[in-house]
Amino acid sequence: MRPSLQRHRSVLDFALSSLLRRKGRNLALTAVYTLVVFVLASLVFFVQALKHEAGELLEHAPDMVVQRMVAGRHDPMPASQVDAIREIRGVEEAEARLWGYYYDPVYGGNLTVMASPDPTLLPGSARIGRGVARNMRVAEGDMVPLRGYDGLPLLFTIQQVLAEESELVASDLVLLTPADVRTLFHLPEGLATDLAVKAGNPRELATIAAKIVEKFPDARPILKAEMLRTYEAAFDWRGGLMVVVLSSAILSFIIFAWDKATGLSAEERKEIGILKSIGWESGDVLLLKFWEGAVVSLAAFLGGVLLAYGHVFFFSATLFEHALKGWSVLFPRFRLIPALDAYQLTVLFFLTVLPYTAATLVPCWRAAMADPDSAMRS
Amino acid sequence: MTRSFPALLTVLLLALAPTLQAGAPPAPPKGLAPKGSCAVCGMHVPNFPNWAAVVTFQDGGQAWFDGPKDLFTYLQDLKRYAPKRRAQDIATIQVKNYYTLKHIDARKAFFVLGSDVMGPMGKELVPFATEPQAQDFLKDHRGQKILPFQEITQATIKGLE
Repeated sequence: MRPSLQRHRSVLDFALSSLLRRKGRNLALTAVYTLVVFVLASLVFFVQALKHEAGELLEHAPDMVVQRMVAGRHDPMPASQVDAIREIRGVEEAEARLWGYYYDPVYGGNLTVMASPDPTLLPGSARIGRGVARNMRVAEGDMVPLRGYDGLPLLFTIQQVLAEESELVASDLVLLTPADVRTLFHLPEGLATDLAVKAGNPRELATIAAKIVEKFPDARPILKAEMLRTYEAAFDWRGGLMVVVLSSAILSFIIFAWDKATGLSAEERKEIGILKSIGWESGDVLLLKFWEGAVVSLAAFLGGVLLAYGHVFFFSATLFEHALKGWSVLFPRFRLIPALDAYQLTVLFFLTVLPYTAATLVPCWRAAMADPDSAMRS
Repeated sequence: MTRSFPALLTVLLLALAPTLQAGAPPAPPKGLAPKGSCAVCGMHVPNFPNWAAVVTFQDGGQAWFDGPKDLFTYLQDLKRYAPKRRAQDIATIQVKNYYTLKHIDARKAFFVLGSDVMGPMGKELVPFATEPQAQDFLKDHRGQKILPFQEITQATIKGLE
C-alpha cells in the first residue's frame, strides 16, 4: 500500500478508537444529527416527488383551459363557443368539457365527476377511481347512489375501477356519460363547464388567449404553464412552511452540534498536547480531527438519507403527509415514484456534512498550534 | 466567522426548499425527427425541433438546418456548403409550418418576414402552408412581408442579418 494511504488508514483507525472511547457522547451526537438529516432529506425528497408527480399529471393536461367568468366567478359556458375558438388560427383542437364536484355526505368525501366521451361507457354506469372505491367500499358491478340536484338518488353501476397507476390523478374521479352528468348536476343541454384548447405551436398560446378574450370578453383562458407554476409555487410554499416550522428544531441541533464539536474539553486539549509531544505534527492532529468529524457526519448523512428515502417512498411520508399534501378529504393512497437527483443530494450534503466537518477543524487547529507543554499543563 | 456560522446555515436551510425546481420536459418533435448539426451554422438541430428544416437528396442523403434562414443560405450557395451536390439532385425541401409544427413542402410554402417571432438565430422567415395562414400571422405578429419560396433571394436573407 502506498505510504500516504497507509498514513490515512492509521489515522482513521486511531480516530475510530478515539470516537469509541467517548461512546455515549458521540452516539448521541450521531443520533441527533441523523434525525436532522432525516427530516431535511424527507422534506426535500417529498417536495421533489410531489412536483414530479404534478408535472406528470399536467403533461396530459390541455395546453389551455377556457372558463367563463360571471360576476368574478367561474360559470358554465355555451358549448357553441368551441366552434368559434376552433376557427382561431393556431388552434389544433378544442373541446367542451363537462365536469363538477360532488360532495358525498355519507362518506364525507369530495368527488370529481366528469363526463367521458368514451362510447364504451354505458348510460347509467360509471368508472371510478381507487379512492372512491375504497371510501364507498364498492367494487366493479356494484351500484352506487349519487344524490341529484333535486335530492333524488340516481343509481349508477360501476363498470370499472380505474387502474392503480393513475391514483394521484384519478383517486377521486367518477366518470359518467355526458347525459348522466347533465342529469346529476341539472346542467342544461348546450352548456359546458369549460373548454380545453390544444395549440399546434405552444408558442402561439398567448396570441390565441388574447384572441379568445377579444372574442368573448367574459372568458378567462388559463395556460398550462400557469398551472404548472401554480403547482410548483404551492409545493414550494408548503415545503417552505415546513422548513420554518422545523427551523427551531434545526437551530437547536446546530447549537448542540456546535457546542459538542467546537468546545474542546480540557481532556481533549491534553490529548492533543500528548500527541504532539510524542511526535505528531499539527497536520496529523488535524487529519485525525477531520476523520473524526467525517466519520460522524458521513454516518449521520447516509443514515438520515436512507431513512428519509424509506420514509418518503415506502411509507409515503407518513410523518408530514397532512401538512404537505391535503387537497381533499379523499387522500390518494399512492406510493410516490422515487424522483431523486444528484443535485438535491449534493445540496443536502453541503448543508450538513461540510459545515460540521469544517466546524470541528477550526478549534482543533487552534489547539494543535498551541505549545504541547502548556496544553498538557492546563 | 465562527459566530455567524449557525445563522448562515439557517439561512441556507431556509433557502433550501425553493431551490429545487423541476424543469418542464421539452415538447416531442413532430414528423421527421431532426438530427445532426446545421449544415450552415453548425448548431445542434434537435435543440430546435420547431424550426428544423431539411433538404433530402435523391440518393437519400439529408442536410438539416436549425431554421429556414440557414436553409436558404444553403440553397443559394450550394457550391460553398455542399460542393459535391447540384441543385438538380434535390428531391424534397421541407420546413416546419409555424402553426402546426409539421413538415410542409418548402417550395409551396409562404414565408413571413419582419415579424416579432424570433427563430434560433434571431430574425427568421416564418413558414406557412397557405397564404391565409401567413396573412393571419402577419397581422398577429406585426410581420412586414409575405414571400413565396421562389421570391426569396440573397438580398432577402441579407436583410435578416
